Amino acid sequence: MISDAILFWILAFLSLSAGLTVVMIANPIYSALALVMTMVSVAGLFVTLGAYFLAGVQLIVYAGAVMVLFVMVLMLFDLKNEVYAFTQGLLTNVVKLGCLGLLAGLLAGTLVLSSYQSQEIQDKVVAAADQTKALGQLLFTQYLFGFEVLGILLLIVAIGAVALSRSRGGTHHV
Amino acid sequence: MGKDVFEVTINCIKLIVVFLMMVQAVPILVWLERRGSAFIQNRFGPNRVGPLGLVQLLADAVKFLFKEEFFPENGTKFLYYAAPVVALVPATLAYCAIPLGHPLQYGEYLFRLQGFDVNVGIVYVLGVSGLAAYAILLAGFGSGNKYSLLGALRASAQIISYELALGLSIVGIILLYGTFNLNEMVAMQQGPLSFSFRGHEILVSWLPNWGIFYQPLGFVLFFASIFAESNRLPFDLAEGEAELVAGFHVEYGGFKMLLFFIGEYGHMMVGSGLLATFYMGGYGIPYITNQALWQTFMDWTQDGQLAHILVSAATFAMFSFKLALCLWFFVQVRWTLPRFRYDQLMDLGWKTMLPWALFNVIATALFIFVAHG
Repeated sequence: MISDAILFWILAFLSLSAGLTVVMIANPIYSALALVMTMVSVAGLFVTLGAYFLAGVQLIVYAGAVMVLFVMVLMLFDLKNEVYAFTQGLLTNVVKLGCLGLLAGLLAGTLVLSSYQSQEIQDKVVAAADQTKALGQLLFTQYLFGFEVLGILLLIVAIGAVALSRSRGGTHHV
Repeated sequence: MGKDVFEVTINCIKLIVVFLMMVQAVPILVWLERRGSAFIQNRFGPNRVGPLGLVQLLADAVKFLFKEEFFPENGTKFLYYAAPVVALVPATLAYCAIPLGHPLQYGEYLFRLQGFDVNVGIVYVLGVSGLAAYAILLAGFGSGNKYSLLGALRASAQIISYELALGLSIVGIILLYGTFNLNEMVAMQQGPLSFSFRGHEILVSWLPNWGIFYQPLGFVLFFASIFAESNRLPFDLAEGEAELVAGFHVEYGGFKMLLFFIGEYGHMMVGSGLLATFYMGGYGIPYITNQALWQTFMDWTQDGQLAHILVSAATFAMFSFKLALCLWFFVQVRWTLPRFRYDQLMDLGWKTMLPWALFNVIATALFIFVAHG
């Protein structure tokens, strides 16, 4: 499929360049907007792989809800002090190098593992119409424990956020 | 896209036609809106300019085209110019996935009367239209104006809050039909109201088999949510003139402003289209199945091909009628109800609609479990 290949290269270029912009640009708002672009193009990549439901959920949850909140909060704050604090200094550089190492390891691991598993996964690809159903059944049978644990984790996070927002303090002392 | 040149060409033309349909519906809606407001609020202009107030449209168009192009002093150029375009894209993409009529069987080809058929229709439409919040945020931030920013923050907070109630009210519909595909949903709403309950077939011949009769609560929640999603009164806090001048588009004029307008009307059309598809039988003609309709035309014309074309035309007209009805209701509500206060808006979204939507999901799931058990 030549059209799929063309689409893949365009989307891959978009997602990689937007991803690079996220980390290279100094302005946090542009960074967040570039992250939105990355997520939308990754959703496009999901479509080329035939994972339509996953693409839709990626758009609804990440691009449509999570990142809107991020951008909103970033627009609300004046982040000059934080930008200064997080772009200079020895500690920051160490953290940056550490992240780079982790990313490199992750990429190498993915490349090595994908060459082993690709055939096995390709055999398991389900027809597009039944994908959502298969996904739901897997989530509620084989991965039920993980699914429920994640739900409880999110509940704890929500309660924690409410508790934090009620206490005084933070980076901006008035 | 298709297996030969003819099919590919038709499918490409279809995409353009659906887009043009959406854009060309905007002047009609503006006319409806201005004339409706003039009748309801006893305004002088719009229903007296020319025959039926139609020349008002021309005056508006000339005004939009000849306005001076300007750029706000503190604005960010890229974001400022990107925002109107971003406003138009999500609504267009979402509208393309809504089925507008019965698929047309032409010889060996099957043409769907929609921009493109998406397997996971609902998820796609929700995902794409969720991106509309960025247009508002970009406009608010790019203008470099505090009123714009406040309007944008209000609007996006509202859109996120009501997306929850919107999504949950649709879950009831998904449970009911057991599919994400909009075409399949419409196909399930043909004929008179009939369902099976614990092995008994129940038929109510005086009602059409529409989603609204299975999901009345879901219908109310969905209806209220699409008003909030398209930032229309009584949920247009983002534009509260008395507090924010005009909200996120204070700094926009001329054609850039018009693009935001088209985006807003586009969202109304997507919302109305989904409402018709989920709860009012989509393009189906009430009480009659599409097969019976084709048979009627077949008996009448004695020509299978012509009958197929007539079925598609009739269902398309039916869908347009339902869409127009929903849009007319949008306009009526806008000029009838006052605006909410912001805390009332948030209370309604989080403390009223969200729990009721959750209740609707659980009640629907329980009912389906009992009915099939």
